[in-house]
Amino acid sequence: MKKPMSEHAAPVLEVRGLSVHAGAKLLLRNVSVAVRPGQVFGLIGPSGAGKSTLLRCLNRLTDLIPGLRVSGDAMLNGRSIYTAGEDVNVLRAKVGMLFQQPVVFPASVEDNVLFGAQRLRPLSRADRAALVESALREAALWDEMKDRLRTAATLLSVGQQQRLCLARTLAVEPQVILMDEPTSALDPKSTQAIEDLIVRLKARHTIVLVTHNVAQARRVTDWLACVCVRDGAGEIVESACCDSVLSNPQCREVIEYLSA
Amino acid sequence: MKRRALDVFVAAVAALCASVAVGILVGLVAVIAQRGAPAISWTFLTEQIRLVGAAGGIFWNVIGTLLLLATALGVCLPLAVALALVERVWLRKTRARRLVRTALYTLNGVPTIVFGIFGFIVFVQWCGWGKSWLAGGFVLALGMLPTVAVALIERLHAIPVKYIEAAVALGLRESQIIWSVLLPQARGGLITGSLLALARAAGETAPIMFTATIFAGATLPHGVKDSPVLSLPYHIFILAQDSFDPAVGAKLWGAALVLLGLVFSLSLAALPSRLRAHEEAHV
Repeated sequence: MKKPMSEHAAPVLEVRGLSVHAGAKLLLRNVSVAVRPGQVFGLIGPSGAGKSTLLRCLNRLTDLIPGLRVSGDAMLNGRSIYTAGEDVNVLRAKVGMLFQQPVVFPASVEDNVLFGAQRLRPLSRADRAALVESALREAALWDEMKDRLRTAATLLSVGQQQRLCLARTLAVEPQVILMDEPTSALDPKSTQAIEDLIVRLKARHTIVLVTHNVAQARRVTDWLACVCVRDGAGEIVESACCDSVLSNPQCREVIEYLSA
Repeated sequence: MKRRALDVFVAAVAALCASVAVGILVGLVAVIAQRGAPAISWTFLTEQIRLVGAAGGIFWNVIGTLLLLATALGVCLPLAVALALVERVWLRKTRARRLVRTALYTLNGVPTIVFGIFGFIVFVQWCGWGKSWLAGGFVLALGMLPTVAVALIERLHAIPVKYIEAAVALGLRESQIIWSVLLPQARGGLITGSLLALARAAGETAPIMFTATIFAGATLPHGVKDSPVLSLPYHIFILAQDSFDPAVGAKLWGAALVLLGLVFSLSLAALPSRLRAHEEAHV
């Protein structure tokens, strides 16, 4: 049994009554969740239910999509991230993101690690070297990369690329890391590496993980919210600690999803 | 059987058309090379013009053309980058974007002589520069602008959204994304577009004949006002128009061959970057 972490601590991320429209179409209806510090918060559910959209509401990556309208509110450390005048770039530095496909920039391993950090804060040469090492260590990539820091990142394996992306996000020192099916493009060994990392990282970071892999959810998440489609729009139909959702689901949709 | 015959027929027609096109190109180059080669020598390239083109070389014409091209590139690049970024980054409405593109294509279709007249009125007369290398550079830059800007715009749009999303998700500001993602990844388009536009600008006569270039009596410009230069295309134009002297004829073909070589090497320089763009488009 995994211990439900710090269930009563004040939430790091809180979503209240959030709905998302794409034009006239409702994508997400009245979503409310609370992510506690040090938690791995899982979002599961069938494809197309709006898990990724919900995730992208949390760092306002939804701003990039024209025609997408977010109503309701989301709060980071008790402060709304949707108020006018909120510096969205500061928010995104605090809420990092790992994508489904690793996105490395056509540059060296080292430059990829520093890609965000060196543009967000002044770093001396010594700082940079130290940051490259610490971020790569944190992403369990240092031993493989310490002699290849100047290699083109595009030459790495997909699994290494994904860990490099994680190192790049970690170098920015985010409080929360959003992960959008981070292992779906990876082989089992790399998936294992990322899962181990998730478990290790939650000591210092809060993680929101979208996955459609129930076994993975069971292995790494502390709390699970299940996003399913009801009346044509995604809703959180069940949200509870991981074990109770997976072993004793209450909702018809979740039971169907888990048995599929 | 019938379909097969049709296939063969279509292939034959296509091959014929292609060989006509290639044949014309090869013939043109062959004639210019054959007639121009005898005139090419070290002194032809390093001496200044003498006896109204019947003797001497084309040194200052080459220098003048290179100076015009460098000026044009210097003027064109910032304009093209700014225009492409406006189109890609700041214009949100599809209609506004389309307007920018349409304007560029229209500009591309403007006859070069119109650019020449425009430059004459605006730079030579209104700005009061007189015939000047700077005026010529500006006019050539206008002609290059559509090619460079469109090449850059296309490359900017070909950048996968995932790179932009990844940079945005790190918390980078728009300007940082422009410098760290958009421009580096579109650099190939900028290089290709510039070289192709330069190759075309190198041979333009109409835009510079009223604004920048004279036939003889100029070396390096001393300032901006009334500082014309010599140039290869105008040299060829004047010699071809005015001379029946066979000595001039040889020099004329020589100058044409040098100009062709210049254009060819600019196009050739653009090739690696174009091939890379082609490969990336098919990954």
